[in-house]
Amino acid sequence: MTSPGPVGIVFGPTRLPVTVALSLGVVALALAAIALTPLVAADATRQDIMSSLLPPGADGHLLGTDELGRDILALTIAGTASALVGPICVALGSMILGVLLGTIAGYERGWLDTVIGRWTDLLLALPVLLAAIVVSGVFGGGYWATVALLILLFSPSDIRIVRAGVLEQSARPYIEAAQMLSLSRSRIMFRHILPNVSTLVITNAMLNVAFAIVAFSSLSFLGVGVPPGTPDWGRQLTEGRAIMLDNPAAVIVPALLIIVVACSVNLVGDWLGQRLTRSGRRA
Amino acid sequence: MTAHLEIRGLRISGPAGEVVRPLDLELRPAETVALIGESGSGKTLTAKSLIGLLPAGFRAEGTFRSGDQVVALDQPDAAWRPLRGRRVSLLLQDPFTSLSPVHRCGEQIGWTIDAIQGRLPRRERSRRIAERLDEVRLPARAAHAYPHELSGGMRQRVAIAAALASDPSLLIADEPTTALDASNQAEILDLLRALQDARAMSLLLISHDLGLVRGRSERVLVMCRGEVVERGTTAEVLSDPQHPYTRALIAADPALGAPGPARPVAAGGDREPLLAAEGIAKRFGDRPVLDDVSVQVTAGAVLGIVGESGSGKSTLARCIAGLEREDAGVVRFAGDVLSPGRRSRTPDQMQIVFQDPYSSLNPMMTIGAILREALATVGRPASEVGAILGQVGLPAEFASKRPAELSGGQRQRVAIARALAPRPRLLICDESVSALDVSVQAQVLDLLGRLRDELGLAILFISHDLAVVRRIADTVTVLWDGRVVEQGTCEQVLEAPEHEYTRLLVAAAARENTGAATRVATKGTP
Repeated sequence: MTSPGPVGIVFGPTRLPVTVALSLGVVALALAAIALTPLVAADATRQDIMSSLLPPGADGHLLGTDELGRDILALTIAGTASALVGPICVALGSMILGVLLGTIAGYERGWLDTVIGRWTDLLLALPVLLAAIVVSGVFGGGYWATVALLILLFSPSDIRIVRAGVLEQSARPYIEAAQMLSLSRSRIMFRHILPNVSTLVITNAMLNVAFAIVAFSSLSFLGVGVPPGTPDWGRQLTEGRAIMLDNPAAVIVPALLIIVVACSVNLVGDWLGQRLTRSGRRA
Repeated sequence: MTAHLEIRGLRISGPAGEVVRPLDLELRPAETVALIGESGSGKTLTAKSLIGLLPAGFRAEGTFRSGDQVVALDQPDAAWRPLRGRRVSLLLQDPFTSLSPVHRCGEQIGWTIDAIQGRLPRRERSRRIAERLDEVRLPARAAHAYPHELSGGMRQRVAIAAALASDPSLLIADEPTTALDASNQAEILDLLRALQDARAMSLLLISHDLGLVRGRSERVLVMCRGEVVERGTTAEVLSDPQHPYTRALIAADPALGAPGPARPVAAGGDREPLLAAEGIAKRFGDRPVLDDVSVQVTAGAVLGIVGESGSGKSTLARCIAGLEREDAGVVRFAGDVLSPGRRSRTPDQMQIVFQDPYSSLNPMMTIGAILREALATVGRPASEVGAILGQVGLPAEFASKRPAELSGGQRQRVAIARALAPRPRLLICDESVSALDVSVQAQVLDLLGRLRDELGLAILFISHDLAVVRRIADTVTVLWDGRVVEQGTCEQVLEAPEHEYTRLLVAAAARENTGAATRVATKGTP
C-alpha cells in the first residue's frame, strides 16, 4: 500500500457535492472559452455599424450586438481571457512572493521578520482598488501594470498566512531533528517546512483568484484596467450601461459571468482546501 | 447485587470490516472494570460506542441497559442526547486538548450543569461550580482560571469535575492519566476512586497499562485486536494470566516485570567521559529552568535523567544538543568545549530521539528520503538505507512508505534509525518511549540496549518514568525544579534514595504496581 500524494487524494474517486461539481464545470467552461477564443471569436472586435444595437436572437447574433455592431456573445467569449488570465497571474505572483517572504519571516524570525511584518502592515493599510486607481492614474495604466500592482497588493495575505503556517511547523520535532542533522537553513525551509504548508498556500491562492477576478472587473469598469477596444467583461459593463434598454444582454451577461465565475472559483478553492486539510490530518 | 449497567452484544464495524467483536460487559454500582489493550485494540472505539460518539464510518450494534432504560447502540445521534453526559460521561486522555482553551474552567463546568438543570440563578450556579471544584479538591478560584494557567493534573481535575457535574451512573475514563506525571497519576486515580465510592458510580477504566490497573479495579477485560481475550478479577488475571497476550503484556511491563539484566559494563568511573556538561544554567525570562546542573556519560553507558515535567530535563538535553543556548556552564564532548548553539556541533557527535514519533518525522517525506538525508550528512551513500532499517529491525521495503502508514513503534524505530545514520557517539533519548505501548516500549528499550552494546553508544536517557529508567540506565541523575537533587548508580538511587523528592518518585512508582491491592481485598466481595 502506498500513500497517495495530495494530487491523488484530490482527484481520486470521491463524491463531489453538487455545488462543487457545478463550480468545477463553470471553471472548466471558462478555461475552454479562453482556449477556443481564436477559433470562435477571433473577430470579436470587428465593428459593423449596419447591424448595431440588435436585440438578442436577431440576425444570427445570439446575444445581439452593441452600438458598434459587435457581437455580444463573441465579445464575451473573447473577454474571458482578460477576466481570468490576469487574476490567475496575480494569485500565482502573490503566492510566490508570499512563499518566499513568509517562509523567511516565519523561520528566520528576528529583524527580517520585523521588516517583512512592517512591510505587510503598510500594504494592508492601503485600500486595494483605490491604490490601483491612483497608481494607474499617475503612472499610466495597462493590463500587465495592473497585474504587477495587484500582485504587490495581494501579497500581504499570502505572506502572513505562510508565515503563520511556517511558525507552527518550525516548533515541530521533525524540524528540530533536521537541525540536529545540521541541514542548511534553506533546505529546512523549502524542503521540510514548505511542503507541510502547501495546503494553506494552494487554498489561499484559489481564493485570491476569485478576489482578483472581482478586482480586475472593477478596475476595467472604472476604465483603468484594460485599454479601450479590448474585449473585457468589466469594460462591457461600462459600455453596456448606455445601451441597457436596447440590448439588456450586453450588461446582464458579463455581469452574471463575473459573479458566477468568481463564486465558482471560490467554491472550488474552499472544497480543495477542505480536501487537502482532511488528507493532511490523515497523514 | 444486580448489575445496573449491562452491555450486550456490542460489536463495532468500520470501513475495513469488524473492529470490535461481540462483547458483553456488566458493571455494578461503585465497581471499576478495567479494559486493557494496546493502541489499535479497539478499546477507545468501545468507549466511544457507549456514548454514541463513534467516528464517521463506524457502526455499533448491540444494546446498553442502564437501570430500566434500554438503548440500542446504533440509534441516531439525537436519541443519545438524553443519555450522553447525563447517565454516561466520558473522561478523555488529554487534559491539554479536552478543555476549551478560550473559556474559563468554571464556565466549562457550568455548561454541564446548565445542560442538566437548565439555567440557574447566577449565584446558585457559581455555588454549584465551586462545589464541583471542591469535590475534585481544587480551590474555588480555579473557576476563574483558563486551562493553560493550570498544571496537567489540575486540568484533568477540571475535566473530571465537568464530567461528573451531571451525576452520571457510569464514567468512562479513557487513559485518564497517560498524559500525566507519575505522582499526579496516582492522585488522579485515587480521586476517581473516592468520587466513585461517594456516588456509587461505576467506572470503566481504559488503559494500556496493566500496572496502573492493579489495585484500582475489581475486574479486568484484556482486549487484543478487537476481541476480549481474557476476563476475570484483577487479582486472578494478574497473578495467573491464561492468554499468551496477557502474559506478554505483564512480562513487558517495566514495573511488573523483572528489572533489566545486570551488565558487566563499568558505569562511569575510571574511563574518560564522552560528554560532560558542567554547571549548566538556563533561564526563560525571569524563570530559572536549570541551575548549576552537571552530568556526564561515558561511551557504552546509559545515564538516566529523571524528573517530572517542568523539572528542566528536556531543556538540559536541548542545551547539550545545541538546540537551546545555555546561559552559563560548559558542554565538553570528547574533551573539546562546545560553544552554545548548533553551529559548533556536527551531526556525527550526537543525535536526539524525540518523544512523539507522530510529529518527529516529516509527514510529507518517505522513510527512505528521511533516512537518505540523514546518511548524506556524513557522506554515507543512499544504498545504506536498507541496512540502517535492518539495524532497527525494520524491513527494507519500509523505505517507500510514509510516516502515516507506520505504527507508533515503527515510527520510533525510524526516528532511531535516522538518529543513528550519521554514526553519532552520543544518543539523547528525550522521553523516547513514553508515548509507546508497553510491549513496544520493551522492544525499543531492548533495541537501545543492543545498539549501546554493539556500537559502544553513550546514551542520555530522559524519562519521567522510574520503572523504565531502571530497565536501561547504569547511572541516574534526578532533577527537581532545575537542580540535581540526587546522582549515583541506578541501584543506589532507586534502592536507597536520599533526597525526599526521589523517595516520593520511587514511592509513586511502587504504588503503581503493588499499591492499593489491599483495597481490592476489602472491596472484592460485595
